[in-house]
Amino acid sequence: MATRATGRSMVSALRAVSIIAAALLASYEPVAGDSTAAAPTSGLPPEAVLASLPLAELAGAVRDPAGLVVANPFEGDKQAIEDGHRLFIAMNCAGCHGYDAAGNMGPNLTDKAWRYGGTPSAIYQSIFQGRPQGMPSWGRALPAQDIWKLVSFIGSLGGSYRTGQHQDWLNGDHGVTSTAPEVTTLEPTFNVPTLREADKPPDTPLAGGSPTPAPGGTP
Amino acid sequence: MTGQTGFIIANAPSMSLATIWLSAAGLIMSGVTHFALAADVSANFAPNDPPGEWHSQARDYANTRYSPLDEINAGNVKQLRIAWSFSDGVNYGHEGAPLVVGATMYVVAPFPNVAYALDLSKPGAPIKWTYAPDPSPLAIGKACCDAVVRGWAFADGKLIYNLLDDHTVAVDAETGKQVWRTKMGNVENGETMTMPPFVVGNKVLVGNSGGEMGKIGWLAALDIGTGKEIWRAYSAGTDQLVKIGSDFHPFYDWMKGKDLGVTTWPADMWKTGGGAAWGWISYDPELHLIYYGTSNPSPRVPTQRPGLNFWTSAIFARDPETGAAKWAYVFTPHDQWDYDGVNESILVDLPIGGKTRKALVHFDRNAYAYTIDRVTGEVLIATPYAYQNWSSGFDAKTAMPIVRPEMQPKPEVKLSNVCPPDIGGKDWQPSAFSPKTGLLYAGIFNICMDVTDHRQSYIPGTPYDGMEMTRHPAPGDNWGEFMSWDPVTGRKAWAIKEKYMTMSGALATAGDLVFYGTVDGWFRAVNAKTGEVLWSQKLGSGIIGAPMTYLGPDGRQYVAIYSGVGGAAMVSKAMPGFPARGSTLYVFSINGESLPNGAPTPTTTTGSAGPNPQTNQSGQR
Repeated sequence: MATRATGRSMVSALRAVSIIAAALLASYEPVAGDSTAAAPTSGLPPEAVLASLPLAELAGAVRDPAGLVVANPFEGDKQAIEDGHRLFIAMNCAGCHGYDAAGNMGPNLTDKAWRYGGTPSAIYQSIFQGRPQGMPSWGRALPAQDIWKLVSFIGSLGGSYRTGQHQDWLNGDHGVTSTAPEVTTLEPTFNVPTLREADKPPDTPLAGGSPTPAPGGTP
Repeated sequence: MTGQTGFIIANAPSMSLATIWLSAAGLIMSGVTHFALAADVSANFAPNDPPGEWHSQARDYANTRYSPLDEINAGNVKQLRIAWSFSDGVNYGHEGAPLVVGATMYVVAPFPNVAYALDLSKPGAPIKWTYAPDPSPLAIGKACCDAVVRGWAFADGKLIYNLLDDHTVAVDAETGKQVWRTKMGNVENGETMTMPPFVVGNKVLVGNSGGEMGKIGWLAALDIGTGKEIWRAYSAGTDQLVKIGSDFHPFYDWMKGKDLGVTTWPADMWKTGGGAAWGWISYDPELHLIYYGTSNPSPRVPTQRPGLNFWTSAIFARDPETGAAKWAYVFTPHDQWDYDGVNESILVDLPIGGKTRKALVHFDRNAYAYTIDRVTGEVLIATPYAYQNWSSGFDAKTAMPIVRPEMQPKPEVKLSNVCPPDIGGKDWQPSAFSPKTGLLYAGIFNICMDVTDHRQSYIPGTPYDGMEMTRHPAPGDNWGEFMSWDPVTGRKAWAIKEKYMTMSGALATAGDLVFYGTVDGWFRAVNAKTGEVLWSQKLGSGIIGAPMTYLGPDGRQYVAIYSGVGGAAMVSKAMPGFPARGSTLYVFSINGESLPNGAPTPTTTTGSAGPNPQTNQSGQR
């Protein structure tokens, strides 16, 4: 009973959203110099690449996989920012994040705090997939172009990271230029394809010099 | 229009119905000739719990928040000091009052709504048990106004409260084990629950939140033994859904008719029409009626929902057995400013027009203070208690506020200086009543807003809201005020202006004291008669909780208050000096004295590198 009600409301929700999105798209009148008129329907980053973006740091030694440097196809497009702003209000984003996007029910989108990544591709992914503390998933309701336009609008607010700055977000580097020398001299080298010998997991049980836990004790 | 002009009506049966216009400065009218004397205004303190205990959020059915304790009084309150404190480690707004039953205190943290029983019989009140209900984190982003819980209830040996993700839980008060857990709604659709359950007999009354998310409001009764739903009454829809039947007799003709919860809306819009029951419930055991209010209509953009939008921003009187409505009154018909009607109603008996009337007093968000006949729903007095400019007066015959047309928002047009703002002249923070003074005490606001409405589309699980707002102080530059109110004359007796918002509950005691807190973290004790501030203590965070008082097992009187800013107080977060969030319960006593004996004072050793003499071989003390 409850499940059925939920199913019904989800269907009606998606239907409502589709109608709204269609209406919004229909209202996009091409104007002179409007690059939106030529909005790419091809040339968008493949969803599979975006879907593979990791939320956390990468295990192992690979830096900057392709997904992390996917750029917004509307990069530098002022019309996309305006369209994104309109979508931000029309799709009720403003109701949660605030009309100034500075946070209300949902988090602030104008500062450097990004729980799930602050680069264009990471923000795209958050809008597409939704997030567990109440952010709906818009991937089924909004076409990819509209999600990228929302990313453009959010990017224009000044708090997000630029394409390729995923590591800066991970390490809390807000673009400050001063870096302590140890960071560049003593950090382990990335892109080492194999584990160092000493780091290899033992293939035999620990013996010899290793302290043996007392029977019944806590290691 | 200054907004400071007051309008008083008095519909005593002996008088003809008439609107009498006068200034708040104090013209005197027949039927309302004097400030109330203490003896004139009384309340029923049922269920008459032990004087030193506090079993429900407002302590009694009438919602007085009055304690008969007087060990702490005007003579010694200056010696109040912190006795102990407790942090739940959660940084959402702390809006409830602790409960004390026997030698145990019960508190519930904001999301994820962990409950704690604290053992008052031991020094420092250590944790007796903890109950972690693990609600869905989805709820955080569906709650309009912070992931708060406004309170919890004790009854039938159970601690009962609502989880933010729409479940009501009952926990064995002795053991902390869950007894039942009832799902009341789907959080994914934008519905949450934040209000404190209210227990009448074997029924647990609970309501929803979500008026900002297009959720239709409801109040439900659950069986206290099993958690099984007994009835549910909606705030809009057909008479059947609203539980309006042959017993329903609203006082005013404009609230009479068939299916007004449908016909006062554009087609089908009642289904997403709001009217959430997220506030307080009071109960008259003699009339056997409950009273509670409903939230704003959805969407908040009024031009999208022409009509009176019944039964939002309204109050219901219902039979707690069946949910059947007895009467209703709509405070703000076709509410255009988010003036929810959910604020508390304090039940008092008072003299008006030479007769004692069974009344309720309600400070509505629309800035009018109402004294209403709780038998019939007749409005006896309606006067502004806070700065307002959305209405030019109050029509006594219809009991409708007179709307100033220029204060009605239009989509995509900025409207400046609308007073009060969305959160009202006062929000949900509960007031108190003292039978010793006959006065009510309330923290109120002095705030206005600039508002721009944006047309809304209904998308389930997202805000159905549309009000873009900035708030600023009304004239006077103070955001807050703590006032005392005479419900017989509809006038303030005294007021204390506060620079920051006053969004805490109030507590009145037989010690002739009233307690309240401020959003910048001051906890104050005030002379109940004169309003003189007798004692103030700065706490760690802002105060939006509700103070309470109890007798410890040691026979001492204590006063407790949560410090943890959040909720709607965050509208003023840009003020310089606005505090950081917090999570601490502070408990005060005279000189900070508490259980003197048996405290486990550890032994100090000096100069020894050997094993700690206090530690045995197993490493345990």
